Amino acid sequence: MAEALVLLTEVFLVAVGLLLVTLVWRRVALGRGERRVREAERRVRPVAIALVEGEGGETTGLSAREQAVLADVLGRYARKLTGDADARIGAYFHDAHALRSALRELHARRMWRRATAAYRLGDMCCPDEATQPLLAALDDSRREVRAAAARSLGRLRVVSAALPIVEALVQRRVPNGIAGQALLELGTDARPELGRIAGHEDPSVRATAITLLGLVGDSGDSHIAGAALRDPSADVRRAAAEALGRIGTFSDEGALRAALDDRMHFVRAEAAATLGVIDAPEALPRLVEIARTDRFRPARAAARAVARIDPKLLTSVAAAPDAGPHLHEAADLLAV
Amino acid sequence: MSAAETVLRIASWISFFYFVILSLVYLTFTIVAWKRLAAHRRARQYSPLDELFASPFTPPVSVILPAYNESTGIVSSVTSLLDLRYPRNEVIVVNDGSTDATLEALRDAFDLRPVREALRTRIPTAPVRATYVSRRHPNLWVLDKENGGKSDALNAGINASTYAYVCAVDADAVLEEDALLLVVKPVVDDPELVAAVGGIVRIANGCRIEAGRLVKFGLPRSNLARFQVIEYFRAFLIGRLAFDSINSVLIISGAFGLFSREHVEAVGGYARDTVGEDIELVTRLHRYLRDRGEAYRIKFVPDPVCWTEVPEQLAMLSRQRRRWQRGLGETLWRHRRMILNPRAGSVGMVTMPYFLLFEFFGAIVQLIGIPVVVLAWAIGVLSASFFLAFLVVSVLLSMLLSLAAVLLEEYAVRRHEGPREIALVVVYGLLESFGYRQLVAYFAFRGFIDLVRGRHDWGEMERRGLERSAEAPLPRQVSSP
Amino acid sequence: MNDAQAVPREQPVILAADDDEDILALVAFRLERSGYTVLQARDGQEAFELARSEKPDLAVLDVMMPKLDGFELTRRLRAEEATSRMPIILLTARAQDTDVAQGFDAGADDYLRKPFSPQELRTRVQAILGRR
Repeated sequence: MAEALVLLTEVFLVAVGLLLVTLVWRRVALGRGERRVREAERRVRPVAIALVEGEGGETTGLSAREQAVLADVLGRYARKLTGDADARIGAYFHDAHALRSALRELHARRMWRRATAAYRLGDMCCPDEATQPLLAALDDSRREVRAAAARSLGRLRVVSAALPIVEALVQRRVPNGIAGQALLELGTDARPELGRIAGHEDPSVRATAITLLGLVGDSGDSHIAGAALRDPSADVRRAAAEALGRIGTFSDEGALRAALDDRMHFVRAEAAATLGVIDAPEALPRLVEIARTDRFRPARAAARAVARIDPKLLTSVAAAPDAGPHLHEAADLLAV
Repeated sequence: MSAAETVLRIASWISFFYFVILSLVYLTFTIVAWKRLAAHRRARQYSPLDELFASPFTPPVSVILPAYNESTGIVSSVTSLLDLRYPRNEVIVVNDGSTDATLEALRDAFDLRPVREALRTRIPTAPVRATYVSRRHPNLWVLDKENGGKSDALNAGINASTYAYVCAVDADAVLEEDALLLVVKPVVDDPELVAAVGGIVRIANGCRIEAGRLVKFGLPRSNLARFQVIEYFRAFLIGRLAFDSINSVLIISGAFGLFSREHVEAVGGYARDTVGEDIELVTRLHRYLRDRGEAYRIKFVPDPVCWTEVPEQLAMLSRQRRRWQRGLGETLWRHRRMILNPRAGSVGMVTMPYFLLFEFFGAIVQLIGIPVVVLAWAIGVLSASFFLAFLVVSVLLSMLLSLAAVLLEEYAVRRHEGPREIALVVVYGLLESFGYRQLVAYFAFRGFIDLVRGRHDWGEMERRGLERSAEAPLPRQVSSP
Repeated sequence: MNDAQAVPREQPVILAADDDEDILALVAFRLERSGYTVLQARDGQEAFELARSEKPDLAVLDVMMPKLDGFELTRRLRAEEATSRMPIILLTARAQDTDVAQGFDAGADDYLRKPFSPQELRTRVQAILGRR
């Protein structure tokens, strides 16, 4: 027993020693690695800038590490700039090792490698080469990879990805926020697709499609949102009211005013807010009533809507004794 | 062998087994934490924050700042909150009946105008005297209310919140610019599931802070604070990561925590009758959601979100640890129904028993165990080999694990600046088990006694907020990490 | 132009402030190539001091900077006699409507959202400086 314990103690001491050594080595290696990257970036950045700005940029003399760092820097510029930069960055990556390497890594065994590759492809501005592989990656077994693929397809503005991304969204294979953002980047190109999906059988799909139409669409799409004001699902109705507010103009005020009587308070709230945005004086009496008597959210939205449409009216109704807290708040905010 | 010797022997064996199990538990935690940190580090490469910042799908957040007698630091605290890198957020400062010039400082700095703000009444609070909005920053609201303590102030802030997510912060916490983005990320990935999120709280002593932001990192100069640095890595970082992997994080720091407002309202807000209001709330959230059988996540993101000052004097450290122990005990007692209850899932079957055994009762064993064994060996009741084995598991193993924690932190989270600092951290990591650990066990033991004796006067004083002592330049932090 | 100058300048001087090194270097490059002298600042405080001492002809400021954010910096520059009429372009990722409004309220002349086009920035700079 005693020898076993002595041995045990020695083992632990050795382990402690090893840990110490690993710690120091790791830290030193990390520090050195970071320093090297920083220096490489300093050297490489002028090249990247010249490239991005279309003024040459000598890339042949760079070492392998510098090429890798250059790829990272260019990826950052792809994210931070718009305009001609994308085309120039794409031209660089077209022949670059980084692109081929990323395409290969999409089939790596480890999840994080695939996800990182999918992500990087989005910043290389080479949609021709990357589209098919990324679309395939939308079906990856791991969520993180799918999310990165969706994000990259959005960044590359691949219009044909609209439907697959929406399907992934609907089947909850990609997080809402990421899919939504990707569709947003597809922008107006995604509108026809979104219009089609606004009639999908799953209410959450309809709701998402309409939310997105609100963000990327314009007055031409308001009829779709308007129709959705009468959707059987409350979530869709709310999304419709919100989308109309974002679009900003809507011809059928009557439908919105009808939504002020919706069963669900959050639909009423959204309808009230939107009526304020599109400036609908005919809704004022009902809005004032809601502001006085309804639940918190719709009442507040209604009070603010009244403030937007007719500030003078707000001031006078807020002075009444039974005006209620929301009208008071809205009136005070007006005065600020 | 006499009766006393038998007792001594049994006590020694109990201590021995306690330390063995504790070490194995910590070892498991460390391995789990290692894996998660490695995965998290890699994840940064394929999901950076910039795009969250620019996206309309990033949910807006109401940041709530309860303030009691913070006139010297409140303006810079609020400014740093307004400067957070986040697309849409509002800041709600709750002046909890300060007796100094807190409100005046806010009024002057931010051009406050009185507005009769409509407040929800779902959670009862002490009366709100007045509400203000800032003319210059329309997303800054100030509630002036009668004193009711930190929980009450937070509840009032929740009543005033517009958005679906609320973020509770401490007035003296120094936030990272990206803090909100970091804690919101899990929400964006799983909006229906995430009920609360916490992050890493790091120690500000020794760091240079300007205009409410950390400018330069530095290790504290005081020994006590240095030991706490190690302790935070070992106990808080590793522990919370491990619990996060089984969705049973119980502690989200009061200094910075994100919550789904609807859920907090559903459980009735922060409790006003406990000193551990942050752990109590999170436990209650777990209970509520598990009772309802809803799928949910309460998450811990291993990124630094804020920096707080830790006590550098024994008296203050003692007070803090006694309060923590009481808070822990009160929470475990209040929710004792969950312990070892299969319906409470991993929270009830793993985490709460862990806290009960190793954090709550553990103080006793930590404190008494070693002297008992020493005594037993000294009077010959136990063999030298037993004693040696005991030393190995109680001291050596914990040194190893402390070092492992430091290693992990170095590798994955944020690195210290130079070799000198690493050396310091290593040395203190080794020394932590030789005295500091026992010291905080003693304070926790005192807290245990406090609780058993039903002592509530400390709680009263702390609920009203600690007055700043003359020598401390920065306000005292009041929450657990 | 600035009346309070001792030495007439050959090239207009532009102050660029951003804590993002990538953006700062790019903006400096683009504007220098277009015939301007560019002063670089990496935080709001540095930018403020440079603006006061060098009195540039135009400033391109990021909003999310440490020490002094772009909005507050703009307000302070407007409050100082020497810089009160200096044209200011805010270049920032903070692009909600409330942010834009806040920017103009603070006294900025123009507001460019990130991600941005360097050509666009140059065009706006030229437009502003050409007018004066």
